[in-house]
Amino acid sequence: MNNELHHLIEMINQISDNNLHHGEAEHAADMVATHLKKFWARSMKDQIIAYAESDGSELNAVSKLAVEELKAWRQAKAS
Amino acid sequence: MLNYFDPSQYRIDPDRDYGTPAQLSEKAVALTIDGVEISVPEGTSVMRAAALAGITVPKLCASDNLEAFGSCRLCAVEIEGKRGYPASCTTPVAEGMEVHTQTGKLAKLRRNIMELYISDHPLDCLTCPANGDCELQDMAGAVGLRDVRYGFDGANHLDAETDASNPYFSFDPSKCIVCSRCVRACEEVQGTFALTIDGRGFDSKVAASQDEDFMDSECVSCGACVQACPTSTLMEKSVIEEGVPEHSVVTTCAYCGVGCSFKAEMKGDQLVRMVPYKGGDANHGHSCVKGRFAFGYATHKDRITEPMIRDSIDQPWRTVSWEEAIAFSAKRLKDIQAQYGRESIGGITSSRCTNEETYLVQKLVRAGFGNNNTDTCARVCHSPTGYGLKTTIGESAGTQTFDSVMKADTILVIGANPTDAHPVFASQMRRRLRQGATLIVADPRRIDLLKTPHGSTSMHLPLRPGTNVALINSLAHVVVTEGLEDTDFINKRCEGDAYKAWRDFISEERNSPEALEAETGVPAEQVRKAARAYANAGNGAIYYGLGVTEHSQGSTMVMGIANLAMATGNLGREGVGVNPLRGQNNVQGSCDMGSFPHELPGYQHVGDPAVRERFENLWHVKIDDEPGLRIPNMFDAAIAGHFKALYVQGEDIAQSDPNTQHVEQALTSLDCLIVQDIFLNETAKYAHVLLPGSTFLEKNGTFTNAERRINRVRKVMAPVAGKEDWEVTQDLANALGYPMNYSHPSEIMDEIAQLTPTFTGVSYAKLDELGSIQWPCNAEHPDGTPTMHELDFPIGKGHFAITEYVATPERSTRRYPLLLTTGRILSQYNVGAQTRRTENSRWHEEDVLEIHPSDAELRGISDGDWLGVSSRVGQTVLRCRISDRMQPGVVYTTFHHPGSGANVITTDSSDWATNCPEYKVTAVQVEKVSQPSEWQKHFQSFDEKQHEYLEKSKDESNFALK
Repeated sequence: MNNELHHLIEMINQISDNNLHHGEAEHAADMVATHLKKFWARSMKDQIIAYAESDGSELNAVSKLAVEELKAWRQAKAS
Repeated sequence: MLNYFDPSQYRIDPDRDYGTPAQLSEKAVALTIDGVEISVPEGTSVMRAAALAGITVPKLCASDNLEAFGSCRLCAVEIEGKRGYPASCTTPVAEGMEVHTQTGKLAKLRRNIMELYISDHPLDCLTCPANGDCELQDMAGAVGLRDVRYGFDGANHLDAETDASNPYFSFDPSKCIVCSRCVRACEEVQGTFALTIDGRGFDSKVAASQDEDFMDSECVSCGACVQACPTSTLMEKSVIEEGVPEHSVVTTCAYCGVGCSFKAEMKGDQLVRMVPYKGGDANHGHSCVKGRFAFGYATHKDRITEPMIRDSIDQPWRTVSWEEAIAFSAKRLKDIQAQYGRESIGGITSSRCTNEETYLVQKLVRAGFGNNNTDTCARVCHSPTGYGLKTTIGESAGTQTFDSVMKADTILVIGANPTDAHPVFASQMRRRLRQGATLIVADPRRIDLLKTPHGSTSMHLPLRPGTNVALINSLAHVVVTEGLEDTDFINKRCEGDAYKAWRDFISEERNSPEALEAETGVPAEQVRKAARAYANAGNGAIYYGLGVTEHSQGSTMVMGIANLAMATGNLGREGVGVNPLRGQNNVQGSCDMGSFPHELPGYQHVGDPAVRERFENLWHVKIDDEPGLRIPNMFDAAIAGHFKALYVQGEDIAQSDPNTQHVEQALTSLDCLIVQDIFLNETAKYAHVLLPGSTFLEKNGTFTNAERRINRVRKVMAPVAGKEDWEVTQDLANALGYPMNYSHPSEIMDEIAQLTPTFTGVSYAKLDELGSIQWPCNAEHPDGTPTMHELDFPIGKGHFAITEYVATPERSTRRYPLLLTTGRILSQYNVGAQTRRTENSRWHEEDVLEIHPSDAELRGISDGDWLGVSSRVGQTVLRCRISDRMQPGVVYTTFHHPGSGANVITTDSSDWATNCPEYKVTAVQVEKVSQPSEWQKHFQSFDEKQHEYLEKSKDESNFALK
């Protein structure tokens, strides 16, 4: 794994940790997905989605859900 | 009758000294002075009333930035029905008073007083540095002194020795008239209390500290005493050397977020001295050692004066014309985009440059490069402020004016060191503390504000680095559980559901001071006391700095601060508020101007189609709807190989950003680095194009300070390389095929006003008329907005955000048992590129590592030892200073000198929301060493090589000229 991707995984997991409140993973995932939509560059979004599709093992539970949501949003936007 | 509402800036001439300070009473008192009827606020002195009526009363010891003192007696007047000759400076006006300022008796009295003064004063007026700018000389003229009957042979002070120890001013006591203006300025204006009158009667003399040289005393060299001195006793050395200036231009300081207004006093195009401008609403005529004295860098021999290019960083520079440098840059950028794609290039705007220049760089990126890869150094300082305040109170800005602090009852300072980083505002804060306001400081260090002379109650919450959120949560917990909330404010002004959720969260026992004491290290009882002092204050005001933002939970902490202010109703009026103290001069402005990759000017998101449409219509170009890369992501992408070119205006990312070795690797990975700067800074050593920048003295524009105040920057001399910075960006845009045709920065501001809803009323004409404007300035607030959120928030209702404490992964371990925190000091500024090239280095020649005596003892370290400081990313070597400002377990350094490598140690740990680096917490080990670190050795040799390359280009260009 290259350092850039490694850093993105760290970033998203950190965002998830900071938005998780009382273990409400779905609510946290919504907030994380919104955050990624608003603040992450296209190439960062592409890389994290590709990673979730190909491996995803280092994403925590909230991050996994958030990337799913991001992916759906992207597909909707593209169509 | 003349009616004066006194404090009005529109009526007051800031260039005139009215003798005593303005009074704020709304009750008017009418009197007659020399037959002129006038009405002034109650409490006004007769001297000031006379001045307001256009009548000049002679004076020496009075000045309108100091309380009346009544020592020189020159301002004596006659008042009908009163006996004797009262001093007009200490006599308040009374209804129906009839004052005479010029009578035969007064003339004789004043002449006699002057005669006594002059009998112990050197008569070298023609060769005196104050010749032409001396109040003593003026008064001798005004009273018609013709003779000194006492002679000059008696006991006198004419042989007193000059103290020239301060690099910027000299103290010549032979010329001193002991008026105490300097002593009072040091106390009342600056608040340092470094000066005193030593001795009694004839032996009275001005002394610094315990009769020491100024340089060895507590003096902080703010220069207030120099400005206050009516003679040449305290005099700028620049005036002694160059003579008295002949014209002046009002402009804005380029150091720090206070944004002081100055008169640049000139002889032709030579700047002789900077004198703080009384009409400046941020500083009211005060300044610090940087703003007043450290301007010599502008004419330093190291200035880059010609554009230069090279194909690789292993080559010497080639001096070229502007045209060639711009064409070279444009071709490189276009070729790279053709090969690697539209998103492979980006730009960095500068918080040291003007609003107009910043706006233009982000416009170049969005419109000329066709992507949103623009970021600014606020990324590494106040980006969490943007995120946190926007989420909670809807606007990314401080809520108050600086003057608001004068109405605060409790001042809570978190992670800021105002006496060093925002010294002029710190002086104002100290004035309020002397008046009795309570001070609470939440900081790992015992900052100097806690040692305010004659301050009132103060509390120190010495928390462990990295536990801010735990502390703010426990403060809020006390407010909520002890019933200290302002329920009225919450009900009226805040979202109900979010508040309830937050209240449930914050009331949980795990957020109590007792539960979090183990994390923060602050005794629970102290936290409870502080929470009560803030919540019950009447007016509680929060000021915070980078000790809040530069953490892995920086954004959470900013939200926690806003929650606390909302819960206690401390928003929306004077004396309260949430106030980020901005580091650099135009951090606020660079953020306002759309420097961030996700936001267009005015914090408008690029994903909003309506916003984009307005910009697209005016810019005639399509704007990318996805955010661009932030600086740290640019670095990662560069190392990964898909980000290839960067245009950096006025920033030194190689020195200021964390994990230096990572930054250096990123910069060397670029195919084209274009640096626009006034010096060969650390980043420029990795550049392929070096474009000469212009200093704040060489251009027109505006800066926006920490209180949202837009101030004019006015050109006082020509740019050394012929172009102001905005002109260079414009040339580059045109060369890239995106046309820009501004002829003056005012036209750029007009465009900003069209596109930014909070700026619609701003123009250069209005700035000239009002002096300065605090945004929002629009139809609703035509003259600007001193206090924000008075009626509602820009998002309607205030939003309480849940602030879970998540401990930073950067913790002390067995291998790295100490926590390093970084900051800055008074005499140096940021990366030091400016201040290191001035005499300010006399106060701080090198960065040192401050360590607590017990940690030092444990390691067998003494003061002055060389210390190797290692973290998980790097090692550097610094000299040791043992200091009890630190807690045990915490070490501290500054990053003003590039060779110190403070950022070689700092890591890429960053704020979860904004990636603002966690400069304030790095786990380190410290040990005694005998040689520089590997990185320092590499730095040394690389630095030497790059300077050689620069010298070669200069030699060649000289040769070509011959």
